[in-house]
Amino acid sequence: MSQIKIIRIHNELLGTYGDQGNAEVLAYRAKFHDIATTITDISYEQPLPRDGNIYLLGGAEDAAQLLSLEALNRDRALKDAITDGAVLLAVCAGFQIIGNSFWANGRQADGLALLDVESLPGGKTRFVGEVRAHSNSLNLDLNGFENHSGKTILGPSAQALSTVSSGFGNGDSKTDGAVLGNVFGTYMHGPILARNPQFADLLLARAIGRPLSFVEDKSIPYKFFNA
Amino acid sequence: MRLRLSLIIARLAGFLSQKILRRSGETIPGKILLTLYPGALHSLSRNRTLLLVSGTNGKTSTTRALAQLVAQLGSTVSNNSGSNLDRGSATTLIKPSDFVVLEVDELYLPRLIAQTNPQVVLLLNLSRDQLHRMHEVKKVAERWKVAVDAAPETLFIGDIDDPFIAYALSGAKKSLKVSFGGRHHRDGAVCPSCGKYLHWSGANFACSCGLTNAHADLIREPGSAAYRNAELANIAGSALGAAEIEFDPKKLERVARKKLSGIDCSIRLVKNPASWSEALQSVQADKVLLILNAREVDGLDTSWLWDVSFESLRGKTIVICGERAVDIAYRLHVAGITNTLEKSMATALSHFSTRDKVEVLAAYTAYFQLVVA
Repeated sequence: MSQIKIIRIHNELLGTYGDQGNAEVLAYRAKFHDIATTITDISYEQPLPRDGNIYLLGGAEDAAQLLSLEALNRDRALKDAITDGAVLLAVCAGFQIIGNSFWANGRQADGLALLDVESLPGGKTRFVGEVRAHSNSLNLDLNGFENHSGKTILGPSAQALSTVSSGFGNGDSKTDGAVLGNVFGTYMHGPILARNPQFADLLLARAIGRPLSFVEDKSIPYKFFNA
Repeated sequence: MRLRLSLIIARLAGFLSQKILRRSGETIPGKILLTLYPGALHSLSRNRTLLLVSGTNGKTSTTRALAQLVAQLGSTVSNNSGSNLDRGSATTLIKPSDFVVLEVDELYLPRLIAQTNPQVVLLLNLSRDQLHRMHEVKKVAERWKVAVDAAPETLFIGDIDDPFIAYALSGAKKSLKVSFGGRHHRDGAVCPSCGKYLHWSGANFACSCGLTNAHADLIREPGSAAYRNAELANIAGSALGAAEIEFDPKKLERVARKKLSGIDCSIRLVKNPASWSEALQSVQADKVLLILNAREVDGLDTSWLWDVSFESLRGKTIVICGERAVDIAYRLHVAGITNTLEKSMATALSHFSTRDKVEVLAAYTAYFQLVVA
């Protein structure tokens, strides 16, 4: 049986939009594939372990986003883990943190540069509502709920996570998020993995390093999120 | 003159809307009045004592309690139906009285303070709610602080165990800061004042910038949200000289007893992580019905369900319905909490018998359909 360590980063700061549920859904979906999981919460004050298989970052308000960035900059743990093949799913504020730069509290901050994207203030319009998209590279439909004011511009080496059919995504209503190897960024809440269990399975497959076929969840007697 | 004419038209419209359209008449007169006479809120609040109540949760019940308190001092009008935007305030102000107690939406509060120069403003709490509209809690707190700082004649009363309220009150000229202790704000990891990591020791926080709940003007015993709101209402009433009233916190909660299909139901309004958590802690019955909608006032998004612990329901008979029932059913299912999903209220109720006492937690729009309809 494979064993996966899920690390939820700074949930007290980045846990204000339900994204903490992504960890629970990963653990839940893992059971269908006989993968054992642990969920570890690492707070702002704790050092980030390097031995995680899946790291999760969630959405937050500006001040919390800056604090999380500061803590992640204390060492190279996240970068090293990713170099070693760990998976990272970063949502909304978390997505901005792992880009080259973003704006918070009226100033520009350097991000962790794990994805070649740059986030800018979006201006007066806030991007709020349902998002529907398709990821060509992952061959997946994705949907979620977005609520952000920043726009994200993809750099030359960045690939969009998905193409948006409705909603704003990165702010241009064309693409949402970005992906590079096992690093995934998106604006979708929901939580995204609760609404897209196939995506959860894909992250699990990446974490254990072999493909997993999607197992339909027969334990729930209803179709969900198919609106 | 123009105000008097506008008032006559607005009153007439309200009368007609009630008689002919059978509407509640809580928003139409105010809406018409504000269209005809935009300065009406200011004009109609002159020479009267105004008290405003705002916060994420508990506005309606606290407003009702406060109106009951000040009614001891003189004639009082209040928008006790929860119609808390400008038009609801205007409708209430049309009626003559010595005292006006208004429940005010969080985003409308700053403007209403500026326009009505109230005697007392009661700030209950701030937490995540309708994020598609409020966007960020910190930004609501910032707007409140600006409004508080600009109203030196108003007495602001608030529960400073909530860091957002402590921050909003930090520059008030006249304030009564109340601390109850015994709880930790769920979104209190960041200092709203300076943005640093906020250090908590039990129920106490103290930031290096000076924001703390350690220096309260009044200290009260810890207790439920309904109890705290009753205390705050009494403190506000006392500030004007009203005799204290001993409120039963249970009766202040938005809980309605009603028979549904012959089943004895106590229906409680829940609308955001804080109110769900408060309600889930108090569930006594073994049979529970959860109704989730996600229309505008409910909040369009249900992501927050994953920030609420449903552990207190484990082992109970849980039936779920509502327009977004699937979201909550799946959230419980993933947590390993057995539940039954039903398409309609009728089929949901069929899981209970007339001998059962069922506790119903209902989203805002569902609550009104069940209780008011």
